Amino acid sequence: MHLLEKLHILADSAKYDVSCSSSGSGRSGKKGQLGNAAMAGICHSWSDDGRCISLLKVLFTNYCIYDCKYCVNRVTNDIKRASFTPDELCELTLEFYRRNYIEGLFLSSAVIKSPDYTMELIITTLKKLRYEHRFNGYIHVKSIPGADLNLIYQAGLLADRMSINIELPSVESLKLLAPQKDHQTIIKPMSFVSHQIQGANELTIYRKKQMFVPAGQTTQLIVGASRDSDLTILRLTQDLYSRFKLKRVYYSAYVPVNNDKNLPAVNTSPPLLREHRIYQADWLLRFYGFSADELLDENHSSFDTKIDPKCDWALRNLDKFPVEINRAPLETLLRVPGIGYKMAERIVRARRIAPLSFEDLKRMRVVMKRAKYFITCKGAYYGDVDIDSGNLYSLLSEKTDPKIVEGQISMFD
Amino acid sequence: MIYVTDGSFEGILTAIFEAYEKKEDPESIVSQGFYQISLDSAVKEITTDQEKSRRVYNTVVCKMSKQAIETMYKAWLSEYREIGTALYKYIKMGLKLGPQILSYLQNPDVSLVNGLADKVSFEVHRFMGILRFKKLANGLYYARIEPDNNITMLIAGHFKDRFSDQPWIIHDAKRNIFVLYDTNQVIFINEDIMIDTENDEDRAFEELWKKYFKAISIEDRRNPRLQKQYLPRRYWRNLTEMQ
Repeated sequence: MHLLEKLHILADSAKYDVSCSSSGSGRSGKKGQLGNAAMAGICHSWSDDGRCISLLKVLFTNYCIYDCKYCVNRVTNDIKRASFTPDELCELTLEFYRRNYIEGLFLSSAVIKSPDYTMELIITTLKKLRYEHRFNGYIHVKSIPGADLNLIYQAGLLADRMSINIELPSVESLKLLAPQKDHQTIIKPMSFVSHQIQGANELTIYRKKQMFVPAGQTTQLIVGASRDSDLTILRLTQDLYSRFKLKRVYYSAYVPVNNDKNLPAVNTSPPLLREHRIYQADWLLRFYGFSADELLDENHSSFDTKIDPKCDWALRNLDKFPVEINRAPLETLLRVPGIGYKMAERIVRARRIAPLSFEDLKRMRVVMKRAKYFITCKGAYYGDVDIDSGNLYSLLSEKTDPKIVEGQISMFD
Repeated sequence: MIYVTDGSFEGILTAIFEAYEKKEDPESIVSQGFYQISLDSAVKEITTDQEKSRRVYNTVVCKMSKQAIETMYKAWLSEYREIGTALYKYIKMGLKLGPQILSYLQNPDVSLVNGLADKVSFEVHRFMGILRFKKLANGLYYARIEPDNNITMLIAGHFKDRFSDQPWIIHDAKRNIFVLYDTNQVIFINEDIMIDTENDEDRAFEELWKKYFKAISIEDRRNPRLQKQYLPRRYWRNLTEMQ
């Protein structure tokens, strides 16, 4: 098979993995090697769906022994199949890298023959890249569920980032939709990698750094293939961040690719708005000091479609507002709808020099559309209605954009 | 009083030196080529002087901090028309406030210069991603870019570090600036170089990249508006995957 066709098949099969970032490793170039790694990550392009392209994201093969009901590559699907050779993958990675198309390689795979066999193919490829071709750029590698921990360890020594996808947010959904996978085959390697990363960090205090997954571990959850609620997803996320110190949890709005009585029908639009809300909440957990139980509870187990999770929280906690912009501590500013992390920091810096007026905030490019209802500046309130008037929900609701109904939303707003 | 400079960073710093030395407090510092002739104000030509500009540079570093001069230089790279006046006001404020100027974000003069510098930093980061090399028949890697800001100097170091074994040329076609790296050092050239960019062998990898670019997109999530938000149309011309 021609390389062009292989690339087509194996990129097409990898596209539902949404992780794209190339961040978390800062490494300068070395003599005699190709490449470096930028701490913040670099996006190289944006595909027609508006998602960023940073790494060459492909499967090693899409031949699979499993029959997971949600997956396009399940063994019972009649689709075109292909496998790369390690040399083909090296050539593509290096030639793309040298032209600055990509930050590096994201290598995943369906399970061919056995998890161990697949993992060995991946390791062979990474070894060639790192040792034979002296490639010093970014590598993200999947650990294959069920592979021997020793193989996972070897891969971790070669990669910047590792991930293993949980995909289904509860044990019940996993039993229903991926009966051949046991959730222990996912949790065990995740816990193993998490311990190895911490171990490697401790060792660096004593001797020369041995790199083990320096950019950390991530995972992905599918949204909308199973009946799990937003609350279930968010609690799991919180657990993953605190127990396994994951760098990111990604969410993928399920695109129905197979007919099955336990799945949404093919042609159902992917739940993009729901995915968007969960991402917003994920940021609130990681950077804004919120906990899952503040945002959702048993009586309120899914996010509002009209307002974002922070606004939603604020409207249920109006007694905490308005806050004075010149006095509120950083952690309180972070809870004001419309004030992001960067802005909150700027406000804290600037008010040390002189107190801030409403006009000052505008000049600092704080978006006032939502914030004005929740703050005072030097004691004055600038919202056009009173905070207790009961009108805030409708004023803060996002207009029903026809695009949202179609399932297309902007990341900004 | 209006000061007219050659538009260079050193020229503007020289003008600021003169303003303080002569205690003239000019209403604006403009660049040759574009300034409005005013009937009420006297015009004074400023000759760029390395020594005077160096003294202003050092004063900013000592009194305001290294970060302040870097912010000013980045803002200058934005090629904003009234950058001379903006930098003058920034220094006036900075000499009163000292290093605190970096935090005085609510002040209009400070926020203008910071805003310009942020815009430049943003584009620098963007071009680390969207610059595309083409491998020429002679083995040289060639990139053509048309950035909004004059960022070539700020991105060269990144590509030198990343592709240290690979000779390359980055060509800012808007400003006709060439940066050349010969696997040893980086050289800036401000004059035309003829480059033959046709190379059939390279086309195979361009085709592979384009194929990848199409295959990785999810049709059910198609969203050209979002794509353009991240990757504005004006950049598409020099992007392999958009041809």
